[in-house]
Amino acid sequence: MKKYLTYVLAIVFLIFLTSTITFAAGEKLTVWVGGHVVEQEETWKEIIADFTKQTGIDVEYQLIGFEVYYDKLVTAYTAGQGPDVCFADLGGWVPTFAAQGWLEPMDNMLATTKTTEQIWPNLWPTVTYQGKRYGLPWYTDCRLLLYNTKMFTDAGLDPNKPPITWDDLLATAQKLTDESKKIYGYGVTGAKSETATLAYMIYLYGAGGEFLTGDYGKAAFNTPEGLAALKFYAEFFTKYKVSPPGTPSYTEDDYRTMMSQNQVAMAIGGPWSFPLIEMANPKIKGNYTVATHPYKTTPASVLGGWASVIAKTSTQKEAAWKFVDFITSYKVWMKWIEKHGGPMPTRQDVCKDAPAFKTDPKWQIIFETFPHAKVRPPIPQYPQISDQIQTMIQDVLTGKATPEDAIKKAEEEVNKLLAK
Amino acid sequence: MMDNILDGKLIPEKKTGLWYDLQRNSFAYRSIIPYIIFMLVLVIYPVAQNVLVSFQADNTWSIQNYRDVLSDPLFWVITVNTIIWTVSCVVLDLLVGLGLALLLNQNTKGKMIFRTIILVIPWATPDIVAAVAWKWMYNDMYGVLNDILMKLGIIREYLPWLAVPSLAKAAVIIANLWKGFAISTMFYLAALQTVPKELYEAASMDGANVWQRFTKVTIPVIRPYILTTVMLTIIWTINYFPLIFAMTSGGPSNATDTFVTHSYRMAFRFLDFSHSTVVSNINFIIVLTVAVIYVLSLIRKEG
Repeated sequence: MKKYLTYVLAIVFLIFLTSTITFAAGEKLTVWVGGHVVEQEETWKEIIADFTKQTGIDVEYQLIGFEVYYDKLVTAYTAGQGPDVCFADLGGWVPTFAAQGWLEPMDNMLATTKTTEQIWPNLWPTVTYQGKRYGLPWYTDCRLLLYNTKMFTDAGLDPNKPPITWDDLLATAQKLTDESKKIYGYGVTGAKSETATLAYMIYLYGAGGEFLTGDYGKAAFNTPEGLAALKFYAEFFTKYKVSPPGTPSYTEDDYRTMMSQNQVAMAIGGPWSFPLIEMANPKIKGNYTVATHPYKTTPASVLGGWASVIAKTSTQKEAAWKFVDFITSYKVWMKWIEKHGGPMPTRQDVCKDAPAFKTDPKWQIIFETFPHAKVRPPIPQYPQISDQIQTMIQDVLTGKATPEDAIKKAEEEVNKLLAK
Repeated sequence: MMDNILDGKLIPEKKTGLWYDLQRNSFAYRSIIPYIIFMLVLVIYPVAQNVLVSFQADNTWSIQNYRDVLSDPLFWVITVNTIIWTVSCVVLDLLVGLGLALLLNQNTKGKMIFRTIILVIPWATPDIVAAVAWKWMYNDMYGVLNDILMKLGIIREYLPWLAVPSLAKAAVIIANLWKGFAISTMFYLAALQTVPKELYEAASMDGANVWQRFTKVTIPVIRPYILTTVMLTIIWTINYFPLIFAMTSGGPSNATDTFVTHSYRMAFRFLDFSHSTVVSNINFIIVLTVAVIYVLSLIRKEG
């Protein structure tokens, strides 16, 4: 009998061994940070040390690279082992997670802080699900036209006069393109990636179209405006050939790299592109800038960024809120900008006061464009809807379907998803 | 005293049966307990969970998820893709693997160096590294592959390998061939060394030429090895995820989407676990069928 008891104990021990991590972490506040900001390891260390000093709350934090972050988070939440506080992408993660019942509503907590008044107002829909707020946006960005000023000068164009309308954009792109030298004027995001959907949205809103109906109940992009946007966007590649032959396999990131090598003159980008383009080629410094993306009828952009959210299963919600409030405070943000010069804070006061922003014209353009930025539909079906838009774009770019057929099919599929 | 009687030799022992076997081989059985537990926790449990989830819709048991997936035209596109991908990869692995094994089996100087370079490098390269390297080689603006093909006069202008559906299909298959042939070659090389030299000598004496020696001597001897290798490559190829995902993410226009990339996207991008499990279960049944055929053939071989 004793022998079998030993086996049972051994097995129990084995099972516990695999879950010790959870037990050990039980006392501390666990925080997961994702997104581009994770590269600033030292700063996070300082911020968290300050927090512990002020509040006496021990924090166990992890900085996780973007490629694995989403999967890791989904796996942890599905298993009921999510961190107390984590960062969620403003591109639909918050409503998606809230619909799964993973997040704690934050309305009561948000009512206790003045930070709420400072947040850019067009950010709130990104963290709202069924009338409740589930997150506090931390940093943000909006998409603009990123362009290589040296290539403008080389082609005899004035780099201080970026294209303003769609027609300007096409004419400029044609002037910049030189196929024999493999130089292209404008990079069309064609790969199956979220950035393709975002590009389409910029064109759609820029033509005065709408993505979904106001109640998110139906697709609203299959209109003359929506079709014009799709056609114009695809024709850069299919008709005018001002975008590289590999367009259906490229994302914004690929074009940014090509831009740093003076091969693609214009593409969609944003404030996050600045350090990355200089990392790809340090010589590009001073030879690139941004402008509001060209439009047909109305200036348009799409916003992105990250919000802090609190897990429903968290046993330390009070401490978690203190942490969220702390990192979004004026003081922490001013310090961050002083150190890194970006990304764009969700606090309007910091955007206005930080000296690093005042001296850089690029940031002034970003702040001017930001109020035009739209949110992606904050609904759980959004990732699947985005996938349909990506398929639509790829089908048109690869010649598998006409723009008319592709947009009709996408509309039907999106309506099916929304009816669920 | 009682213990002695019950425990001792007074009671006639049964010589057969499960209980006797358990007692007799008790050490062996105890030794595999950890393995069984890990299999239960890490394999059987997820598979069972997968099956359960796939049959649940609207909080009740139903086959609705299967109906949804089977009526989705995309599913059939992906099925065809998976078949093209698996069949081409397996056939190419067989041809290239066997061909190279025959070459490497020759008695030449520096045999070991060739074997090491040809076999170890692709096989030991991590999946993601290989995928990224191939992605760059296929690049339509500065890809080395386009450059070489241009210089050889095979193509007139750079091809956007990963941007045209049919080319992208070929591109991932070629990349997989590079990554996968090594293991096939190793198996065939090992198999070739079991062919007795006397058989070749006897065949040459009887006037058999090279081709006849290959088809009449080599192939019959190594046939069981070929079968085993093909079965294993089928299983690996169907389930092979990282290369495709890192190179094309299933694009362009779903041209390189297979069961695994599709079910991954449904589960982890869309959190649509109920439909994702259906696709992975269908994949599981196919792989299981191949695996059962494989195991049966192994058992038959052992007699």
